Amino acid sequence: MTPLLELRQVSRRFGSRVVVDSVSLELHPGRIACLLGPSGCGKSTLLRLVAGLDRPDQGEIRIGGQCVASAASAAPPEARGVGLVFQDNALFPHLDVEANVGFGLSGLSRADRRREVHRLLDQFQIARLASAWPHSLSGGEQQRVAIARALARAPSVLLLDEPFSGLDGVLKEAVRSALLDDLRRLGATVLVVTHDPEEAMAIADDLFLMSDGRILQAGSPEVLYRQPVGLVAARLLGEMVDIPGMAVAGRVETVLGALAAPGVNDGPVRVGLRPEALQPAGDGAAVRVLARRFAGDGYRLTLDLGGVAASLRWRQAAPAAGETVRVRLDPAGAVVFGDAGEPQVSERLP
Amino acid sequence: MIGVLAACAAAVVLLPLSGVMAAAFGEGAARIPLSDVLRYAGTTAVLALCVGALTAVAGAVAAWLVVMHRFPGRSVFTWALALPLAMPAFALAYGYADLLDVAGPLRSTLRETTGQDLPFEIRSPGGAVFVLSAAFYPYVFLAMRAAFLNLPGSAMDAARMLGLGSTAAFFRVALPLTRPALGAGVALAVMETLADYGAVHFLSVQTLTTGVVRAWSVYGSTVSAARFALPLLAAAAVLLWIERAGRRGRVHETGKTRWRSPDPVPLGRGPGLAAAAFCLFLLCAGLLVPAGWLLAHLGAQSPDWSRLAVAARNSLGLGLAGALVTVGLAALLALGSERRPQLVRLASLGYATPGAVMAIGLLAPAGVIWSLSPGSGTALALVLLVLAYAARLMAAALEPIDAGLTRIRPSLPQAAQTLGRSEIGSVLSIRLPLAGGSLLTAGLIVLVDILKELPATLILRPFNFDTLAVIANNYALDERLGQAGAPSLLILLLSLPAVIWLTGRIAAAAPPNGRETRP
Repeated sequence: MTPLLELRQVSRRFGSRVVVDSVSLELHPGRIACLLGPSGCGKSTLLRLVAGLDRPDQGEIRIGGQCVASAASAAPPEARGVGLVFQDNALFPHLDVEANVGFGLSGLSRADRRREVHRLLDQFQIARLASAWPHSLSGGEQQRVAIARALARAPSVLLLDEPFSGLDGVLKEAVRSALLDDLRRLGATVLVVTHDPEEAMAIADDLFLMSDGRILQAGSPEVLYRQPVGLVAARLLGEMVDIPGMAVAGRVETVLGALAAPGVNDGPVRVGLRPEALQPAGDGAAVRVLARRFAGDGYRLTLDLGGVAASLRWRQAAPAAGETVRVRLDPAGAVVFGDAGEPQVSERLP
Repeated sequence: MIGVLAACAAAVVLLPLSGVMAAAFGEGAARIPLSDVLRYAGTTAVLALCVGALTAVAGAVAAWLVVMHRFPGRSVFTWALALPLAMPAFALAYGYADLLDVAGPLRSTLRETTGQDLPFEIRSPGGAVFVLSAAFYPYVFLAMRAAFLNLPGSAMDAARMLGLGSTAAFFRVALPLTRPALGAGVALAVMETLADYGAVHFLSVQTLTTGVVRAWSVYGSTVSAARFALPLLAAAAVLLWIERAGRRGRVHETGKTRWRSPDPVPLGRGPGLAAAAFCLFLLCAGLLVPAGWLLAHLGAQSPDWSRLAVAARNSLGLGLAGALVTVGLAALLALGSERRPQLVRLASLGYATPGAVMAIGLLAPAGVIWSLSPGSGTALALVLLVLAYAARLMAAALEPIDAGLTRIRPSLPQAAQTLGRSEIGSVLSIRLPLAGGSLLTAGLIVLVDILKELPATLILRPFNFDTLAVIANNYALDERLGQAGAPSLLILLLSLPAVIWLTGRIAAAAPPNGRETRP
């Protein structure tokens, strides 16, 4: 199956700084893909390259099998059939909601445009806002208008730039799941850019991890979480501490005990631990408590794992700083890396 | 596409400038002794320096008082101190020349009662310095008022917490932070001084600008006029550089800290009255006294109303046409400048260039067209006149338009493009409507300046085509001051609403609130 959107070795430089570095990725019809990376990693630039607001220095961007941008030529944004929802939504302040949503429907008659606009507003449950002005809308409403506006032109791909960053905690969760439901129902092909790992894992069918202009790893959120290619990629998706270990004959010895690690070359390694890799256990290794902090339903302990500080949620009677607790290492949350943290030297343990 | 149109707009400014250069090195100079040229240049320099110094002090102190202090009348002075912008400098000259004339009623009464006369002659370089300073201090006042309002309130609070009084805070904190704005405001005042013809000519002070007009009108030599213009062009370039440097500093001034304007401090009874007196003096000097004197003498001779009506129609027509053309060209330049910033710098040279110089620069290309189609006299002259206005005022219009366009979040035009609009389509549907207020501001600035314009109009106007400024000048030169008052006051009346609106707009624009919205 040909991908709907395909990037081949796309690079973009600003001066001497390579902001997007030989990025290749594919997006298939009806999928929701997520580009996750810290701020400044080049993910927004990548989005602008796809939208046509910027041109690549190298590489090729294809939409529906057609080349829309290369180093030699680039189709203007209006000719690409790509919808972009800006981080600030970019609603036109001098137009009301109906005019904003109908803005891209210039080819239609007035009546057709009106019908189409109201169909979209209905789909996003904002028909009552048709004559409202953008500044009077809540953040979530503004976003729905912006997405309806982008979808009005039936784009082949919808690009969302940090779509939920302007919303606060509780609201964000509700807006996000409602919006995702709508987009899936419409069968839209979507590429979302975000810096929030929890959000990325919640919405993505396909997840791309980006750092320093490069795609580090691509795959389903679960694979990426459980089988990261390196510490940097692992930490993009959540907390991970790394402790020293020594591989000998298919086993890795750590301060917390031994792990099976078939196929790992003998020698020093790093063992990456997700928070859930540490479990309180009476028969576990004794480690010293560095600090204790009250955390509502229990305590958050800071443990000394052979010179590396790691935190652990503790629901029993809490030991004071300086005392020891016994913890066990759960292999499901542990990954073995090479001595420098990169690259991975073994498959994850079963 | 927009880049090409912008380049055409820049050409409108560059045409007269290169015309001046070409003419200056041509043949056919009148025999004007070099000593005369040097004398004119010397007088011009003295005027520029003195007016610059006086307007700097008056404008900055007035702005400091109204922004940072509470005193009687402050709320009125905040906007009223800018009103002299509506009064043409030549009208001030007529009023003061008559009021302070040696044979005038004021000095006659003074001599009779005290036996002494004022040691002061208004028709002198000193008198010109006073008149021009009174006319042009609002440029500094407005620049400094905006700058003081934009001072981070925290800086002034910190100064106060560290034990600085008002005066010390002014010199050690406020002034250093706003020096770029001061430079920009003074540069504008000095540019206007260099460009002034009507006031200095009436006060019998000979400057390079009067030289330009004289060389053309008396000696009939475009070449000599252009030679007088060259030092003016050089001075213009220097002033422009100062003004631009000031603008660079402005970004730094406001910074990215959360904006809160400084809280005004109440002044005690004595200092408060002194502050009010100072502001009242400026307002009287720049507007109330000369306008009042002209108004009081209106009745002496009944004005020729039909002639005034025609002139007012001509002035307004030229002003509106000039405003439309200038704003259109400036908008193109502003849009095109995103890709070619050097265009804007070139166009700005026009603002510093006196109108007389622009007119001289357009005479040569005009001559060519005239010889090609002799019948086009009046229409061509009017077109050239509008072009001269556009060339001179392009930069003045460009500044608010540029500011208005940059206030628009870049995502808005980009969104229009991803929604299928071409570059020009997104300009028409998004950027120009959102910058509408700025376009109006620019148009009014141009309109007011054209209503007051004299030398370029004198040189380029068609035969028997009078504007209010031209008939005021003609009456004044015939020493019929009573009659010169009517057209002068008409100009004031026409410009005043625009100036009031502009003043409010500048005050409202003070907080950098990010973007324009409309309900």
